[in-house]
Amino acid sequence: MKYIIFITLFISAFALKADWQQPELSHNLTVIKKVIPAMDFELQDMDEQKIKLSDYKGKVILLNFWATWCPPCIREMPSMERLHKQVDAEGFKVIAINQMEDADQVFAFTGQLEVDPTFEILFDTTSSVSRDYAVRGLPTTFLIDKEGRIRYRAVGGREFDHPEVIKIIEQLMAE
Amino acid sequence: MNKIVTINLFVLSVMIIAVTETAASEVKVHKNENSGLLTWTVKDDGFQIELLQLLPDFIRAIYAKHDFPEDEIERAASYCIFGTILKNTSDQQMSYRVADWRYQTSDGKQYPVKTKTQWLEEWRNAGVTFSWTLLPDEGEFSVGDWQQGFTTVQLPRNTEFDMIFKWQLDGVEHTGILENIKCAPESLPEK
Repeated sequence: MKYIIFITLFISAFALKADWQQPELSHNLTVIKKVIPAMDFELQDMDEQKIKLSDYKGKVILLNFWATWCPPCIREMPSMERLHKQVDAEGFKVIAINQMEDADQVFAFTGQLEVDPTFEILFDTTSSVSRDYAVRGLPTTFLIDKEGRIRYRAVGGREFDHPEVIKIIEQLMAE
Repeated sequence: MNKIVTINLFVLSVMIIAVTETAASEVKVHKNENSGLLTWTVKDDGFQIELLQLLPDFIRAIYAKHDFPEDEIERAASYCIFGTILKNTSDQQMSYRVADWRYQTSDGKQYPVKTKTQWLEEWRNAGVTFSWTLLPDEGEFSVGDWQQGFTTVQLPRNTEFDMIFKWQLDGVEHTGILENIKCAPESLPEK
């Protein structure tokens, strides 16, 4: 119980209130010079349904690696939700891959957020997918084009609903 | 022979140019009014590092949440641990390697900062598979990239020391020193 109180104190002090401690969220996405195919995977969602990345081939995908204890992950999540609602669902998908937690932990966490995420949350319980994508730290995000190729990357939190990010996504959708 | 001397001089001059040591140009220390814990922020050439004191109980909480064995929780909590935020503030490619960082105690001795790889090897031997929370050993940061994680130093509570960190901007190495930082106390001071 004592530990839970500490974690709660940490998240509230470190992540939500003490914004001065964290760098501002930028909107820079790094162009991947050597375009590589995004590795396919199969993971469970919140309803224990198995989802494959290849299920969404033909859509532009924002693929985000995150965890509930990661402050910048928490900070960027509202912008992912706004992006998800703002951009055409027919051609675009936001997928957030949680690292080594379970549905109960994530459900308890999302219940505390001001806006409940409606985008896809998947569970990488062994971090095998993050290893395949060479993710070194959280959050890390990839933008995948309609052909299933990784085109952009962001290490660290971002404001994903920034007009320049939306412009990039729309350009990928129009290709 | 002349050619060899010329090449050696050239290599030496490139090495001198390529290694730039800079005193931390802008250091801010912040005291959290509620907890009394300290945070140091250094802004240097294209690089920002922020070190936040973390209480041992917080470390215990994090690793207990991830089902670490009690021995490993206590071993981690016995270290002096800082929440660390690194950011590329330049418009170039920035990189770092924790293996290049050192901490210097008051007697002038320098020690390597323990890396994530070293921790993971020890944890694997203890049956732990959780691999997050620690600052990655290496980072290649594009413009706007940043990262965070724990930095661990094997020093007692409240010890003061200097942290010597290195980073590269487009292949040019830089060194910064953050002086007189302090490990967190065992617990929050009584109010």
